[in-house]
Amino acid sequence: MEWAYLVLTLVSVLNFATPLLLAATGELVVEKSGVLNLGVEGMMIVGAMTAYFVGAHIDLEVCTVPHFSGVGCLVGTSSIPMERFAIVVLTGGLAGMALSFLFALLVLGFRSNQVATGLGLTLLGLTLTNALGSGSGDLKVGRVDTLLGTQASDWGIWGPLLNMNPMVWLTIILCLTVGWVLTHTRLGLIIRAVGENHDSAHTLGLPVQWVRLGAIVFGGLCAGMAGAYISMIQIGAPLWKEGITAGAGWLALALILFATWRAERVVLGALIFGFTLALELRLQTLAGLPSWFVPWLLPSLPYLIPIIVLTLISLDARVIRRNAPASLGKLFEPIS
Amino acid sequence: MIRLIRRADVTAIHSLVSIAVAAVLTLVISTIVLFLTAKAPVAALMQLLTYPYQGGTVIVQWSKALNMAAYLGVIGLGLSICYRANVWNIGAEGQFAMGGIGAFGTWLLLGSPTAWWAIPCLIMGGAFAGLLWASIPALLKTQANTNELLTSLMLVYVAAQTLFFVSNGPWQAPVRYSPSQTVFLPESVQLNAIIPGVPTFHMGLPIALGLFVVIALLVLYTPFGYRLKVTETTPRAARFAGYSPRVTVWAVFLLSGAMAGAMGAIYLMGDIGYVTEESNFLRGFGFSAIVVAFLGRLHPVGILLAALLLGYVAGGASWIQANLREDDSIAGFIEVIALMSTLASALFLQYRVQWRGFATQPQENR
Repeated sequence: MEWAYLVLTLVSVLNFATPLLLAATGELVVEKSGVLNLGVEGMMIVGAMTAYFVGAHIDLEVCTVPHFSGVGCLVGTSSIPMERFAIVVLTGGLAGMALSFLFALLVLGFRSNQVATGLGLTLLGLTLTNALGSGSGDLKVGRVDTLLGTQASDWGIWGPLLNMNPMVWLTIILCLTVGWVLTHTRLGLIIRAVGENHDSAHTLGLPVQWVRLGAIVFGGLCAGMAGAYISMIQIGAPLWKEGITAGAGWLALALILFATWRAERVVLGALIFGFTLALELRLQTLAGLPSWFVPWLLPSLPYLIPIIVLTLISLDARVIRRNAPASLGKLFEPIS
Repeated sequence: MIRLIRRADVTAIHSLVSIAVAAVLTLVISTIVLFLTAKAPVAALMQLLTYPYQGGTVIVQWSKALNMAAYLGVIGLGLSICYRANVWNIGAEGQFAMGGIGAFGTWLLLGSPTAWWAIPCLIMGGAFAGLLWASIPALLKTQANTNELLTSLMLVYVAAQTLFFVSNGPWQAPVRYSPSQTVFLPESVQLNAIIPGVPTFHMGLPIALGLFVVIALLVLYTPFGYRLKVTETTPRAARFAGYSPRVTVWAVFLLSGAMAGAMGAIYLMGDIGYVTEESNFLRGFGFSAIVVAFLGRLHPVGILLAALLLGYVAGGASWIQANLREDDSIAGFIEVIALMSTLASALFLQYRVQWRGFATQPQENR
């Protein structure tokens, strides 16, 4: 096995792990505050679509033939510089955030069922993107600039790794920071207190509903940005198509269960899930596999392996029960 | 400012009020969305509401609505049984797909018969395949305590991949189609139209109605239904009553899986006639059925009405797409808006809302 091959594999794993990790980081905070938001997939795909359309708009200056709608570019030698890409990602995040506000309104304001509302949010995201995203086929979105550009080759086999989008590293840092904040700061203590027992937290005078609103909105921001990574970075050139997230939001939710609500294990889990996704691409080209393996089992692996991993983790019921926020998914009725 | 007081007694009046609130909210928000998106909103709204009487053949238009309602109703009823027992089966789409595959597999196993007796066999085969597919999350839930919500959903993707595999691999028709598909079932094994010339109004619809009625009676009037009711309202009481949670999980998963699978078989024989790739075989019935279950407040009568409503709306959306060149995604929007409105309006069912003016009472009921 060559080193260069290992580095390329690591790049591929990190590439697939990043959106899962980012979305899971947001959802970790949401669940720690005692709210289960199953709308991650919906917020992600809305973020992905928004980022793509903003990306089409944002390199208009170097566009030679603008798109007839006025948005985006048909022909251009454009690429998106890093600082503009940050805006693109943020708008994706804001789109996810907008959806999460709706979730918060229903769950916190109207005390609706969290599971049903979350599922509804996912359906809303898919419906929205199917309706609005259909006319994007002829848009041209510039590639996002890389850190090193053409100088990547100077770094030898490490070039591809160092040349990855900074979001990869920022996401890992964010997740570990969130883990540290949750366990070592006053803010983290408040979030955990609200998630463990909302009645006690309320009695202590903590603003349960506001803490949860903040957490939900943070989760929406992260999920939207994760979606932006998928449409802008993941396959090299920006791409938008219906259903592009392909269950990544659900994988992010599975990650949190796998990690039993611990940030460092979320990172580990994201690498494992990222590995299974990367495996799919690698094994496709391998010769000598049975004829049913590549068209059937291989594309199913990213969904089968999480099932197996989750099952192994859940075997000991106490592990989940010990770590799960005690008020997760429960209705909060403040006693006046 | 606003104070919510939990109702001690929830009566039929409260239920009607909350349904009315949901209906008004849905109507208002859907109209706003239609006005924002449609090119000719007034015409679109009018035709969406009255499309069976807008110049097309009345029976054809109604049968489209009924056809979709049949699938949504039966699958939604199955899911509502799960949700009543606090079991989150959201993988009906996969169980439906496996039903189609299972029915076609049964036909091949029987030696590709052309006689009528193959039809009940195929429905049974489809139901069995859906049941088997649903037994995976049930097994993992009961034996390993695995979250059934995630496993049942992940299996949808695997089922979709299985559709791709069988229609490209072992069962691919000798004549190449794009997208790939199996051979057509013979005419005699398909569910024929009841009224000649109206293919969507086929024999599968009365079969689905019969299935719906049987299961609805099971939910409403049998000890099993009572068990569900106890588990839904007071899980603790269910435990004290000696209802094994494991048995409940198995029962609801197998029943809902079999129902979705049977509908997959009926879809195969009545509407499409062959197995093909996911994008052409699956129309999102399994996911819309989740909406139907919640719209109907998990009650069979409500589910029947909700299925008819969504079926009608979907028919209307495809009508305005064909005739006014409007986007038919409005059906999806109305579906989600109705779901959100219903979930929000449940507040008025469970609580008394008290307006107390702008008195200074911080910290409360935010």
